[in-house]
Amino acid sequence: MELLTHILGAIATVILAFVVGMSYGGIVRKITARVHNRIGPPWYQNFIDAFKLYGKTTAIHHGWMQIMGPAFLMVSSVVTLMFIPVLTNGGWFPNLNFEGDLIFLLYLMVFGPLGMALGAGQTGNPNSAIGVTRGLSQMVGFEIPWVMALVALMIQFDTTSITGLMEAQAQSGTWNMFSSPFAFIAAVLAMLGMFRYSPFDIVGAPTELASGPVSENGGKYLFTMMSSGSIFAFVKLTLYVDIFMGGADNLVILLLKTFSIYMIPVLYGIVSPRYRTEQAIRFFWGWPLFFGVLALIYASIF
Amino acid sequence: MEMIYLIFIIFLGGAVATYLLGKINGVLRDITFLATLIVPAVLFYTQVSIGQTVDFSMSGMNLQWGITDFGYIFAYIVLGLGVLAGIYAVAAMKGKENLGFFYSNYILSIMAMMGILFSRDLVSFFIFWEIMTWSSYLMVVFSGKDVQKVGIKYFIFSAVGAYAMLMAIVTTYSLTGSMMIDSLVTAYPGFDFSMQLLIPILLLIGFGVKSAMMPLHVWASGSYSHAPMAYTAVFSGALSKMGIYGMIIVIVSLVSQIPEGHWFREVIAWLGGITAVGGTLWAVAQDDAKKLLAYSSVAQLGYIIVGVGVGTPLAMLAALFMAVMHGLFKGTLFMAVGAIEKQTGTTNFTEVTGLIRKMPLTFLASLMSIIALAGIPPLGGFIGKWMLYESLVGSDHYMLVIVVFFSSTAAFLYCYKFLFGFFLGQEEPEWAHVKEAPAMMVVPMIIMAIGSFILGVFPGLILNPIDAGLQELGYASTQGRYWEMSMLFNEWGDKVVLQPILYTIIAVFVFFFVFVVAKNFKKTRYVSTKDISSSGEIPKAHENLTFSRGFFQPFLRAVEPLMKHQIDPLYTGFGRGMEAIFDFVRRIYTGNGQTYALYAIIFAVLLLIFKNQLFGL
Repeated sequence: MELLTHILGAIATVILAFVVGMSYGGIVRKITARVHNRIGPPWYQNFIDAFKLYGKTTAIHHGWMQIMGPAFLMVSSVVTLMFIPVLTNGGWFPNLNFEGDLIFLLYLMVFGPLGMALGAGQTGNPNSAIGVTRGLSQMVGFEIPWVMALVALMIQFDTTSITGLMEAQAQSGTWNMFSSPFAFIAAVLAMLGMFRYSPFDIVGAPTELASGPVSENGGKYLFTMMSSGSIFAFVKLTLYVDIFMGGADNLVILLLKTFSIYMIPVLYGIVSPRYRTEQAIRFFWGWPLFFGVLALIYASIF
Repeated sequence: MEMIYLIFIIFLGGAVATYLLGKINGVLRDITFLATLIVPAVLFYTQVSIGQTVDFSMSGMNLQWGITDFGYIFAYIVLGLGVLAGIYAVAAMKGKENLGFFYSNYILSIMAMMGILFSRDLVSFFIFWEIMTWSSYLMVVFSGKDVQKVGIKYFIFSAVGAYAMLMAIVTTYSLTGSMMIDSLVTAYPGFDFSMQLLIPILLLIGFGVKSAMMPLHVWASGSYSHAPMAYTAVFSGALSKMGIYGMIIVIVSLVSQIPEGHWFREVIAWLGGITAVGGTLWAVAQDDAKKLLAYSSVAQLGYIIVGVGVGTPLAMLAALFMAVMHGLFKGTLFMAVGAIEKQTGTTNFTEVTGLIRKMPLTFLASLMSIIALAGIPPLGGFIGKWMLYESLVGSDHYMLVIVVFFSSTAAFLYCYKFLFGFFLGQEEPEWAHVKEAPAMMVVPMIIMAIGSFILGVFPGLILNPIDAGLQELGYASTQGRYWEMSMLFNEWGDKVVLQPILYTIIAVFVFFFVFVVAKNFKKTRYVSTKDISSSGEIPKAHENLTFSRGFFQPFLRAVEPLMKHQIDPLYTGFGRGMEAIFDFVRRIYTGNGQTYALYAIIFAVLLLIFKNQLFGL
C-alpha cells in the first residue's frame, strides 16, 4: 500500500513537472517574442509541438545507443525529480527526498546529459558531437561557482541534505538568499549557464548547428528529449526555490517562486548576444567564482 | 612447510618455468603462466590467515613475513586484477615475440607486490620494492620503442625514489637497531624533530614516485602508454597502489604521531589535489587513448592522495575504496584499449571511429567503466567520490573540495572523448573489417565491469575489509557510522540509500526505453551513419565527417593559463645543467699524458704554496 502511494505520488510529480515545465517554456517563447516586438506563439504552443512529435512515426534509427539516449536523459530528469522536495510538507509528493543528498544530486544531474551525448554521438552527425563538446566544456565552467555556493550552504548549516537546508530556513525564518547572499549570487550566475539561454546558448546554437546534440533526432526521440528538458527545468527551479527561498507550502506559492526565479536567466538571455565557449567558461571563472569564494569565506566565518 | 613460503616458491618457480617453456612450447607456457597466477591466489585466500607470520634470518637480519588486515585490501586488488589481466594477457599477447620473458616478468611483478604486502620488515620490503621496479621497467621497454626517452625517465625516477627509501631505511636502522616496521612505528615518537620529519619525507619520495604524485609524476604518462596494455592494466591498477599502501602507513602510523603532522598532511592533500587537476587537464588534451588513460590514472591517484592526506576516517574509507575501484575500472579501460589496439592496430582517436557496432561488448565494458570513472551513480566510482567530498566538506577543506570537484567535472570531458573517439561518430569503410576481440579478452573486462556495478550498490562488500584494515591502523570502527551494506552516511548524519536509487533508475529507464521503442522499433530501419542530413545536405559516401581533431579546443583555450606551467621542462633543465657539469668534468680527463703531467705539476706547486696553511709547518 505504501509502495502504491509512492508510485502514484511519483507519477503525479512527473506529470506536474511536465505540465509546469512545458507551460513555462511556452510562456518564455511568448515573452521573448514580445520583447522582440513580435506577437509570438500562444503559451500552449509547446504542448502542441510535443504532441505533434509524439504522433509522428519514426522511420530510421542509427543503432541501440541512439535509442537509449533519450531514455538515459529521462532517467536523469525523473530520478532527480524524485529526490527534490516539491512542497515543504511532502503533501501529495512523498518521493525519495530522504534517500539522497546534494552531492548525490549533483552527480545524478550529469547522468542524463552524458547518456544523451552518447546517443547523439552514435548518429554520426558531426554537429551533435560539436554541440556536446561545447555543452560539456560549458558545464565545467558553471559547475564551479555552483558547487562553491552549495558547499558554502553546507558548511553554514552543517548539512548536505536538501530537507536539512529547508528545515534550517524554517527554523531561522529567513531565506538562505538573505542569510547567505553571496552564495545566492554565485548560484544565480551559475544558473545562467545551467539554463542555456543566451549568452550561453552556443551548445544548441539553433542558427548554425541545427540544435546541436539533438540534431538527427525526431518523432518520439525528440518528444522524449523535449519533455525531459521541461521536467529538468522544473527540477532545477524547484531546487533553487528549496535551498534558497525556503521551499513552498502549496502549489501556488511554488509556481510564483519558481516563475520569478526563472525570469532571471530568461530576461538576461533575451537582451544578450552569444558568448563563444571559452568566453563563457572565462565568464564563469570571473565574477561568479569571486562571489563563490566570498560565499565560502562568509560561511566559514559565520 | 609454511604456506607463505609455498606461495612465493610457486611464483618464483613459475616465473622461471614460463621463461624456459617459452622457448619450447607455446601452449604449455600459457598454461604454466595461468597456473602460476591462479594457484597462489587460491592458496592465499584459502590457506593464509590474517596475522599469521613466519620468521627467518638472513645474514644476521631478522626478517618477518605475514599479511595484515590492511595489506589484505591491497591483496584483493593485486591478485584479483593480476589473475584477470593474466587471462586477458594470454589472448592479447598471442603471436607476439619473446612471450616467455613477458610472462615471467608479469609473474615477478605480482610476486613482488604480494611480497611488499607480506613484508613486516624494511629489508624484505625494499628488496621486493626493487623487484617490482625492475620487472615493471623491463615491461616499459618491452616494445623496444623510445627506450631512451620513456624507459630512462621511469628508471631515473624509480632510482631516485629507491635511494630516498634506502636512506630512510638505513637511518631507521641506525636509530633503532632494528629493521622491523613495527619497531620503527613504536620508536618514532622518541626521535628528535629533524629525524621525525626526514624519515617520512624520504619514504614519501619513494612512495610518491610509484603513485605518480605531483611533482614526481612525469614518468607516468609515457610508461603507462608504452608498456603492453595487458600489463598496464596491472601497472596502473595495482602497482601504483603500492605507493598508496606505503603512503598510508607512513602518514597514519608515523606522521600522525608528531604534533606538527597536521601541516605535513595538508601539504600532501594539496599535492594530491594539484595532481588531480593537472592530470585531468592533460588527459583532456590527449589524442591517444593510452596517453589519455595514463594521465587519467595520475589524476585518479591524486584523489586517493587527497583522501590519504586529509586522513579523517571517512577520507580514509574514501581513499581505500577509490583505490579498489580504480583498479577495477582503469584495469578494464586499459584492457579495452588493448583490445582495440589488437583489432585495429591503432589507439588514436583521430584514426579509428565508429566501433560500437563492431565491438559491442568492449563498448559495454568501457561504458560501465567510464560511468564508474566519472563517478556517476549507480556505479561504484560514485561511492568513493561521495565519501571524499563529504569528508572534505566535513573536515573544513573548503578550497580543496572545489579543486577536487573541478578536476572531477573536467573528467567528464575526457570520459566522453574516450567513448566518442573510439566507438561513436561516423563509421568509416576503413574499419569495416574489425571484429569483436576474442572471448578470453572480453570476459575479464565484463567481469570487472560487473564488479564495479555490484560495488556501486553494495559498497559494504569491500568497505568491510577496508574497515578491518583501518581498525588495525588505529581507527575506530566506522560501520554503522559512515556506512552500511548499501547505505552511506556523512558526519552530519545525511545519508544516501543506494538500493531504492538503483531500483528507481532501472524502473524509469526501462519504462522510457519501452516507451521509445514500443510500436516504433519494428517500423524503423537501421541506416548507416553516412545517411544523415548535416546542415541540410546529405554527405556523400566518401566524405568523412568524423569530428575528432581539436575535440575540446574551446575548453583547452579557456584553461590555457593553467596548463602553461609544466614540471617536465624544469626536470629537463635540471638534467641539462647536470649534463653541463658532467661535460666539464669529462673535459678534465682529456686522455692526454702531457695534460695529466701538467695537473701533477700544478698540484705540487699548489701544495708548496699552501704548505703552511695545510700542514702547519
